[in-house]
Formats: sequence, structure tokens, C-alpha cells
Amino acid sequence: MTAPFVTMTGMSKSFVGVKVLKDVDFDVRPGEVHALLGENGAGKSTLIKMLSGLYTPDAGTITVNGEAMKFSSTRDATAAGIATVYQELLLFPELTVAENVFLGHYPRTAGGWIDWAEVRARTRDLLDQLDTFDLDVDTKVLALSVAQRQRVEIAKALSKNAKILIMDEPTASLVEADVQRLMQVVRQLRERGVGIVYVSHRMPEIFALADRVTVLRDGAHVGTRAIGEVDERELVSMMVGRPIDSLFPKTEAAIGETVLEVRNLNHGRHVRDISFSLRRGEILGIAGLVGSGRTELALTLFGMTPATSGEIVMEGRPVRITSPRQARDLGIAYVPEDRGLQGLVKPMAIRKNVSMATIERVSSGIFIKPAAEARRAVDAVKRLSIRCRDIGQPVGELSGGNQQKVVIAKWLETSPKVLILDEPTRGVDVGAKAEIHTIMGELVKQGVAVIMISSELPEVLGMSDRVLVMSGGAITGEIDRADATPERVGAAMTAHRVQANGTGEAA
Amino acid sequence: MAMSVDLPPTRPASAARRPGFLSRLFAEYGQEIVVLAAIVVLFIVVTMVNPRFISANNLTTIFAGNAYIAVAAIGMSMVIVTGNIDVSVGALIGVLATISGTLAVAGYPVWVAWFFPVLVGMAIMGVQGVLVAYARIPSIVVTLGAMSILRGGLISVTGGTWISGLPSEFLLAQQRWFGVPSPIVMMVVLTVLAFLWMRYSAFGRSLYAVGGNPEAALATGIPIERRIVAVFVIHGAFAGLATILFATQLQVIQSTVPPNLELTVITASVIGGVSILGGSGTVIGSTLATILFAAIGSALIFVNVSAYWLRAVIGLLILATVLADMMRRRGKA
Amino acid sequence: MNLKSLIRHETFLALLLVAVLIVLSFQSDRFFTVSNLLNQGRLMTETGLIAIAMTFVIATGGIDLSVGSILGLVAILTGVFWHNVGMPLGLAAVAAIAVGTFAGFVNGLIITRFRVPPLIATLATLALYRGLAEGISQARSVRGYPDWFYVLGQGEVLGVPTQLWILVAAAIIASVILAYTRWGRTVYAIGSNEVASRFSGLSVEKTKLALYTASGFAAAVAAVIFVSRVSTTRSDMGTGIELDAITAVVLGGTSIFGGRGTILGTVIGLCLIQALKNGLSLAGVKGDGTIMLIGAVLILAILASNLFERSGTR
Repeated sequence: MTAPFVTMTGMSKSFVGVKVLKDVDFDVRPGEVHALLGENGAGKSTLIKMLSGLYTPDAGTITVNGEAMKFSSTRDATAAGIATVYQELLLFPELTVAENVFLGHYPRTAGGWIDWAEVRARTRDLLDQLDTFDLDVDTKVLALSVAQRQRVEIAKALSKNAKILIMDEPTASLVEADVQRLMQVVRQLRERGVGIVYVSHRMPEIFALADRVTVLRDGAHVGTRAIGEVDERELVSMMVGRPIDSLFPKTEAAIGETVLEVRNLNHGRHVRDISFSLRRGEILGIAGLVGSGRTELALTLFGMTPATSGEIVMEGRPVRITSPRQARDLGIAYVPEDRGLQGLVKPMAIRKNVSMATIERVSSGIFIKPAAEARRAVDAVKRLSIRCRDIGQPVGELSGGNQQKVVIAKWLETSPKVLILDEPTRGVDVGAKAEIHTIMGELVKQGVAVIMISSELPEVLGMSDRVLVMSGGAITGEIDRADATPERVGAAMTAHRVQANGTGEAA
Repeated sequence: MAMSVDLPPTRPASAARRPGFLSRLFAEYGQEIVVLAAIVVLFIVVTMVNPRFISANNLTTIFAGNAYIAVAAIGMSMVIVTGNIDVSVGALIGVLATISGTLAVAGYPVWVAWFFPVLVGMAIMGVQGVLVAYARIPSIVVTLGAMSILRGGLISVTGGTWISGLPSEFLLAQQRWFGVPSPIVMMVVLTVLAFLWMRYSAFGRSLYAVGGNPEAALATGIPIERRIVAVFVIHGAFAGLATILFATQLQVIQSTVPPNLELTVITASVIGGVSILGGSGTVIGSTLATILFAAIGSALIFVNVSAYWLRAVIGLLILATVLADMMRRRGKA
Repeated sequence: MNLKSLIRHETFLALLLVAVLIVLSFQSDRFFTVSNLLNQGRLMTETGLIAIAMTFVIATGGIDLSVGSILGLVAILTGVFWHNVGMPLGLAAVAAIAVGTFAGFVNGLIITRFRVPPLIATLATLALYRGLAEGISQARSVRGYPDWFYVLGQGEVLGVPTQLWILVAAAIIASVILAYTRWGRTVYAIGSNEVASRFSGLSVEKTKLALYTASGFAAAVAAVIFVSRVSTTRSDMGTGIELDAITAVVLGGTSIFGGRGTILGTVIGLCLIQALKNGLSLAGVKGDGTIMLIGAVLILAILASNLFERSGTR
């Protein structure tokens, strides 16, 4: 048992008065894969950003190789041997692979010029070490696939002599074969003595790769175990805090007739031959990894990226949905994944955001009726328990949970028949999360059909009447509530193509 | 170009497939090659209509007379690569030319008359760069304001009079170096140097980074603000060098510059392949594009089309190029 | 975007205007006369109409640099349709305005359909439309319009210059639209967050298309007024008017990044600029000095606006 290379003790951080990390300890040893697990909002991302120098901690110390360190920028962390491969890859599309790897720290010739021959040779060498022999170092990054770009990012990290490599959801956008090869690379790096912080949701990978696993919950450190000492059930309950069933009070609602039917829907690479049906009062959970096509499916149903082929049948009538406005008129509403960018106009007041999708209802002709708008906003605030100063407050000032409620309120104003929620409780505190789940329960009692896209297995398992699992743009499983277990869902999430089963077409 | 699923992981580099030299050349420099082809086609077509187009005299006029635009376009290309723009360069050249001529007539040594304006250009552009980088004012606004200040200032100071009586040593643009008109030499040399520098130096690459992905550039530790100021200063230097060629062409210096000079310079960069969205393009392209314009302008005369249509043609060219650029990007995305 | 902060900016601006007026009236006794003030109102109508339309465009986060060229083109076409083609003058003016409006529509198409950034699109059409004006006119100007035509640009209605009525009407209509209608709300939403606006079902493309078309229309109407005022048409008319318009808009509190701005602010900004111009000319400074001032004012205005934004008075 070697001594840790990096030790973090007592890390704490607050944002806008909300404590996102409370006194967390974490350490990484050379030559180990240390998995970091937790629900969305548990604090994983904050922790690794402090380790990589992007955030400064409010309290706590970071020790590298026995020395206490203060990282005031990412350069400090890089100099200390810590490198990160982010989910949103930070590459320059118009520059070549070699240029991207060595940007900012080029090897120089005696005269001070960049030694391009050395740059290319070393990049080649790094890529070969990562078993990426067929990637030409002179290709522009924009021509590469996601998996290849990730290799470039890893090579970049290695080029800075990283002793610790932080990987944030590295397999989120990869197909199965690339996942396997990445795991190979991770094993190799471990063998070379690199310490790897592996942030991921995916249980199979964690159990296949990790030596230790640390679980965070609500900003606090729940426990660190050797991987041989835990099983998945225990990890999930550490993440979630209590056995799953008591967390999501599933209200029984009457499930009615079919309201939406989708047949052989296609759009691009991420929506492939999708077929399913949805009934009134039903909560259909859609599970899958990032990149599996869930959001793309939602956007196709919502008219943002209209289907290229296939049928959508709404309440028995076939329709073609080519714009969000049309979707709204048909009774389909979509609460987006990224509420800051897609769901809200942050500088605008609550009441203006609430009415944004239904502005005609509070207008007479082209003129907005301020009184009518205000009334609806006040109603929404009461109904959804939105904590705010008044309806004139800019939504940007609200907490994550309340912002999410404003977005939901906006779409409830459209009296939807089908409500699609994309990661509805991401970045939302526990209290608001429960409230949103309660709202969902009430909606289905009123006969609304709900599609809930979520990356949190406990949430999917707890709330859904049925679970659709997607992978690689196709449906890889349809599981009833009674049969839904983390293993079954998890297996379907990483399945490559749909097997012939009751629901869909064969591969 | 997704990686195929069943690629065996243990193939050594030498066996890797490398696309042919020509296809790589075209992928990298496609736009520049298109412009070159357009020049060749234009020459062929116009010469068929009017053989005098290809006379040595006319060619010299085309290349030498417009070389200063190409030099200015080098600096402009760098600015555009970082994702900014400058509409004040035309007015700046006017101001610098007047300063240059005034110094020459007042009896200062020629090299002072040539190079002092370069310093002035760097200073004026530097100020604009600071406003863009640190005060975070969009470059279109800063340079729009600067353009008016410079233009108004020029006329106020000169009162519209021309500067005459320039000493003959001053007239650099009329000299010949190694038998070739000096403007052409300067244009070619500066273009090549600038291209090499942008392509192979850390500074040059960082400009593409800043324009291509500012967040990533920041995360990589590139000092974005300093780079932007630097690129504006360099742009000012090139404007100064362009002024030398512009001011020393004739025996007199007018108090105005050709109208819409800045637009021509921007167009040259854009058509030469510098994407207006920042992050790509080369200075070789902008130089070739300048030649194309000059050729078009001359061609219009030789084909007996009124020169008043030149500006409309320029506008159409920008539009066509930008539209093509947009479609290309959408196709790739 | 709350009422309090907006009122603060406009009141500050109004006070500034009053201060400038007072200073100028002391500087020259020809300034604060009714006839001079009315005349200034006459002179600022062309820029004013364009600035009003420009407010909408900039509030969505866009810009239109081609307005000056559209003005020139419409001016030339008015002369050409009437003099060369032989249309009755009224019809010629209407036809020319239609062309100018179409030019704005083309701008909008390039920006919405082909997703070209507004800056570049209107920079290109600035050259194209001006080039068309130059090519069509071949540098010849048209004169000799019938007397009744000059009423628009040089005449008066109820003692107030004709075009000033038009400007006031346009300002009132525009401010009502921007502040109280769904269209105005859409404009602000697009400027603050275009993505979220799209996701909320707002017709972003149609709105932008309409705004750029309106900008072309405003420039076209301004062109006819201009011709009527100076009794001639030349292809270089309107050169640089985009600078004046943008400066008035920015000075008036509209953020160059979009999402904020009022017509009232633009109008006050417009008056400020006109007052400065008038003051300078009364003091004997020539036109070029004025250009310098406007340029400086533009930069200072945005600098101040950025500082305000950063200190959080949003």
C-alpha cells in the first residue's frame, strides 16, 4: 500500500451561499484507479475542479507528494503533475493533433523556435503508447471522432508528465468498443504508475477498473472502500442515503389510453428506428448513458430536430412535428436538460419567463396584459412552491431547484398532454428534488403522460412505471416497473444493439 | 469519420494509411487554391477579350499598384483569425500617409519619414486593442469609432490639401529591387514571412487558438488579453508598412485614401480563406485575393465595363465567399 | 431588466441632454431659438428613423451596417425611376422604397437562412448596395423635382417641419411595440438568450427577418426624405449614417450585446448627438470635427455602458 501522491483534507466550498462541499477528504495513490461516485449535485465536479486548479477551496488543504499546495490556476495544478480530461473536450478544431497536444508547452530548439519535428515525434510516441496507431498527428481535430479526440486529450495530459489523471465521465459519449479500448488504456496508465481519478456513473466499468471507490452525497464524504469490499447495492445505497423505495414515494395513478405512439423514428446518428407508445397517467423513464440519444429523441419529438423518417401519432392522429411551436400546439412540452441555456432567460423576471411559451394567452391581440400575466405567475409560484422575492425577480437570482420549477411552470402553462422532462432534478437540492417528484405525481394523476429522461438510476427506478433504455441511438430495453432492477437497466444501458424482444425491431 | 469498431490495436505507425499528399494539400489550403485558380481563369478569359490585358505595363500596375492592400491584409488577417475585426485601417493609412509625407517634405531623413508612421500606427492600433481586450468593447464598435476619429481628424488637420514636393529618395514604391518593382518584393517577402510565422511559431498558433476556442485557450493558459493587444499592434505595424508603399507611389499624397479601403482589405482576408468566425485561414490566401481583386478591377476596364460596378462586385464576392464558408462549416459539423 | 435600472439610465441621459442644451444656449445665442431647434429636428429625422429601427436590431444582439448604402440606393432609384423610367414621382418613390425594403429583407435572409453573422452579412451588403447605387447612377445626379415634392423635406405642417411629425409618430409607435407588445417581448428574449427563446417556441427567425426588413424600410423612407430635403440625388448619400444611428442607439442605453434598450433612450441619444453637432457647427467647427466627436462618443458610451453592466445595475 503505497503512500498517496495527492491528499485532499477538509475540502469545503460554497457557491452563492449554498455549501456544495462540506469537509471532504480524498486521496489518490500512484498506480491506482480511484473511482469517484455520487449523484448529480453530490459535489464530484466541484472536488475535481479544485484538484485541477479551476476552483479555489474555501477551506481545506491539498498536499502533493507531502508538500502543501495552493493552486491559483490550472497551470499550478499542471505543474504539480495533475491533469484533467474533461467531458467537454477542450480542443481546437482547426489545429492538428500534434499542435493541440503541445499547445502552450512546445519543445524548443536551441534558437528558441518551436521544434516541430520533436513535437510531431513525441505526439506520435504518446499516441502509440495509448495504442492509437492509426491516428495521424497532422490531422485537424475537427475531423476526428469523439473517441479519437479523447485520445488526444489523454495524450495532452501525458505530455505534461501527469502523475495524476482526472477523467470526468470519460465513457459518456463512447460506443461500446471504444469503451473497452479506453479501459485498456486506463489499465496501462495504471501500470505505469499514474494515479487515476475516475468519475463515472457506470457501475460495470467501476467494478472492472477501480481499486478503490469513494462516494459523495450532498457535498459530504460518505465513505471510501476497496472495490473488493463492496457490491453495487451497497454503493447505490451509499449514494442515495436510504433504500431506494422509501426515497421516491410512487403515487399510484390510473393509467389510461394511449396518447402518443412513435414508430420507426429516425434522425441522424442518435435517433435510430425508435418505436414506443405512451399512455395517459404514465411515467415513462428513459435511461441511458450520455450520448445514447435520449435528449436527441426528445428534441425530435419536440420539433427542434424534426424526424427524417418514421411516424408520430398523437391521440390517434398522425402528425409531423417540425417546430417547438407546433409541438406545443399539439400538447407536447419539453423541459430541457440545460435550464440555464435552454430553459430560462436569466435576466428576465419570473413572470416573463413563466409566460414565455404561452404569451398569446396573456395578451389581447399583440398587447400583453400585465395583470393577466402577473396573475398566472403568482398562481404558478404558489402551485409549485417557488421560493422567490416576488414575480418581478430575475430568474437568474433563484436557486437551481427554484429555477427548474420556473421552467416546469412555463411548460405547465401550455396544458400539455405529454410532458418531457430531461434531467429534471440535476443540480437541484434534495428538498426541491422531492417537491419536483411530487409535482410529477400530481400531474400524472391529472392524466398527463410524462416522459422522464434521467441519468440517476435510483430516480429512474423509483419513479417510472416503465423504463425504456437507450444505447447508441436505439432502444435496447423496455422494462416494466416490477422487473426493473439496477442490473437489468444497467446491462441494457451498455448493450450494443437491440436484441429481438417484445418491444422493437431486431438489430 | 468515426473510428470503425473492429480496428486491431497493434498496428505499427508505418503501416498506417496516410491520405495522399495532394488531397491533404487541398484539404488544408483549399480556399487558397480556389483563389489562385480564379486568378488564372480570369486572366485567360480577359486576355481572350482584350490581349492588352496581359501586357507588362498592365501587369505591373495590377501587382505593384495594389501591393499595399495585400500588406495591410496580412495584419487584418491576423486580427480576424483571433475573432475580431477592424474597420479603421483605411482611415489609419490616410493619417499615416499624411504624417509620412509631411515629415518628408519638412526635410527629415527618409527613413524617419518611412518608419515613424509605422510606430504611430502601432500605437493607435494598440490603444484599440486595449479597449477590445480589457474594456471588452466589441471590436466592431471600437474600430468604427476610431475610424470616424481618424477620418475626421485627417480632414480637420489637412483641410483637404494634398502634399506635394516629395523628395525623390522618398519614393520607395517607384524603386526597383533586383529588377522587380519594390512593392511586389515587399508584398511577397512579407507574405511569406508572415505565413511562416503564423504557421510555425507558438505566438502564431496561439492566435488560431484564441479565435478557434476562447474558453479552451483560457484553460490552456494562453494570455488572451495580451495576445489580442499584441495582434492589434502588429496589425498597426503592417498598416504602417502598407502606408510606405501607398504614400510613395506618386509625387503627391492625397488627403484621402481610396474609399472603402478597409472593406477591400477585409474582403481580401475573407476571400483568401480567413474565416470570419475566427480560428482559421492563412495570409497567403489574403494576398492572392488582393491580386484577384486588383485583376478584376483592371479587367472591368479592359472589358469596357464601367468601374463604378467594382464595389458591387466586391460586395457580391464577400457574400459568396462567406456563404460558401458557412455551408462548408455546416457540412462538416 | 427591471424598470428601476432602466429609468435610471434614461433619466441620467435626459439630465445630460438638458445640461448640454443649457451650455450650448449660452455659447451661442442662435442656438436656443425655436426656428433653430425645429430645424435641428428636421435634420435629425433621417438618422432618427434609422436609429429607431436599429434599436430593435441591436436589441436582438444583431447589427445592420448596410443602412447607409440602402439609403443611397433608394435615393438613386427614386431619381432613376422618375427621371429615366418615367414613372410619376409618387409611384417612383414608392417603388424605390419597396426596393429598399427588399434590400433589408435580403439582409434578413442571409442572416437567418444562411446563418451568416449580422456583422459580416451587412458589411458585405454595405458594399453591394452602395456598389449598385454607384453602378446604376454612374455618378450622375438627378435634379429638378416638382415643387410639391419638397414639402416633405423642406416644408412644414402646423409650423413644424413635415418630417419631424413622421419621426415623432414612428418613435411613439415603436416604443409602444417594444414595451407593451408580444413582439417587443420576443425581441428582448432573443437578445438575452436566443437559444431559450427558440426552446420556448418563439419564432426567432421570423422576428429577425422582420426586423432587418424594417431596418431596410426605415432607411428607404429616410432616403426619400433626404432627397426631398436636399433637392437632389447622389450615389454617396447616407455614407456614414450607420455610425450616427448606432451611436444614438448605444448612447440611449441599448446594450450592444442585446437584451436591453428603449426607444426613449435612443431618441434622447439622438437629440444629444444632434445638439452636439449643432453646437460645434455654430462654434465654427467643420463637419469633420463632428465626425471625430461622434466616434469618440460611441466608444465612451459603450465604455460607460460596460462599466454599468459590470457593477450590476441590470
